[in-house]
Amino acid sequence: MSIFREKGTFTRRQFFKGSGMLAATIVISGVFAKFGYDAWAASDAYIEKRISGLYTLDEKMAIRKSHQNPEILQIYKDFLSPGEVKPVSEKAHHLLHTKYGQDIPELIKELHAHQHDAA
Amino acid sequence: MEEGNGLSTATLANTGIIQVTKKCKSCDHCTSICPTGAIHGKLGQKHHIDPKLCINCGQCLINCPFGAITDTSMVKEVKKALADPSKYVVVQEAPAVRVALGEEFGMDPGTNVKGKMYASLRKLGFDKVYDTEFAADLTIMEEGTELIHRVFKAVGAPGYESSGPLPQFTSCCPAWIKYAEDHYPAILPNLSSAKSPQQMFGAVAKTYVAEKLGVKPADMVSVSVMPCTAKKYECNRPEMIASGYQDVDYVITTRELADMIKEKGIDFNSLPNEEADRLVGASTGAATIFGVTGGVMEAALRTAYELLSGQSLGKVEFKSVRGQKPIREATVEIPIKDLGTTLPVKVCVVTGTKYVGRVIEDVLAGRSSYHFIEVMNCPGGCINGGGQPIRRDMY
Repeated sequence: MSIFREKGTFTRRQFFKGSGMLAATIVISGVFAKFGYDAWAASDAYIEKRISGLYTLDEKMAIRKSHQNPEILQIYKDFLSPGEVKPVSEKAHHLLHTKYGQDIPELIKELHAHQHDAA
Repeated sequence: MEEGNGLSTATLANTGIIQVTKKCKSCDHCTSICPTGAIHGKLGQKHHIDPKLCINCGQCLINCPFGAITDTSMVKEVKKALADPSKYVVVQEAPAVRVALGEEFGMDPGTNVKGKMYASLRKLGFDKVYDTEFAADLTIMEEGTELIHRVFKAVGAPGYESSGPLPQFTSCCPAWIKYAEDHYPAILPNLSSAKSPQQMFGAVAKTYVAEKLGVKPADMVSVSVMPCTAKKYECNRPEMIASGYQDVDYVITTRELADMIKEKGIDFNSLPNEEADRLVGASTGAATIFGVTGGVMEAALRTAYELLSGQSLGKVEFKSVRGQKPIREATVEIPIKDLGTTLPVKVCVVTGTKYVGRVIEDVLAGRSSYHFIEVMNCPGGCINGGGQPIRRDMY
């Protein structure tokens, strides 16, 4: 290995070889970095596009607030809280609310009891 | 339950919704994605998912470079119900489905195919095509009212003593619910008692809708199309029987709907734009944004602001809760008519279950000043759910 030998400066040939290899390394690693970055960017681009799809749809809707949905007003007046729009009514509580974790077995018992009452 | 759907709770406990198939190349990519550390297996060994720890979110499934992870399918049962003339089959579709279904038919991500989606479901033979967005609006009514009650309790207004504590956490995401139940049972009283839109729809379908249509609830089959694999677990939870039957019978994902459309030979791209059926099919912009992180919060703020202040909101957008950062916070000044004061309502939005731990720790330690916290498991929200079209073009 002549390059390890102590010997003045590089030869002209060694200098060309070294700088050529350095340039090639920079170009190749640059290409790979670009490839990697594109793959990473592409993996996120579809999320952003789906998100703006929903926001655009929201802007196009004639009604944009839940409490103004005519069918929501109707289900409260006809069924959940007859005659008025009153969320968390007794019926709404039974059908639309739940319990979590260790409260679930008791809730299931309540629901079965409710079925017997209705039957 | 007379209507068993072949996926008993016991089976689900054993197999879970998400499974690793033989195609596993043991690359370990999934273990870095799993928010609960449910995936076991050393580098070089076929991996295995522990159904007890798994929250069924399916993030591993959509991110597996080899397509080696799969989810339990109910497509066979749906086809059987559609072919049975004695069954009345109704369907609901989540907001996130309509901006991703088109990708399976060559369209750009984010293309709105709402009208074609309704048309394709009618072609597949569903008797009524409704919309989960109706139930999302219903969720806002119930969950928003619950939040108002909790705030009134916290400021000492009389008559709200039985309300729960603040902050209130959202309860729409079934992966987040299972995570909270498994890891932080102490936080459960802070979760909104409101069911998710899917389950609200199911409970309403077999009571209100059945009554209005004159259909026996026992003959009704309730199907939902979801961007989510955890919804399959949710519909099989034993307490989801408020209608007297299993409220939602079957869940299929956006991918599975696309497969059904292709299998039936329907030319999706040339379908006309149709509308959802009336009664429980109308939706609003607030319901549409449920599919994106921050959307439930924004929808709740639009309604809470108007109901509490008695004023009409000029500009409906709350841009401060938008974005993709895993944890975002905002303060919204809401004038409260009944109390004669203005309350700065502090809200927080979390996307990614990995990040929710520290928010919960703060609440449990009494360091949190938030009133309302939205949590969605999947990065970006339901639009990036485990049931959405898989984009392997990036690999």
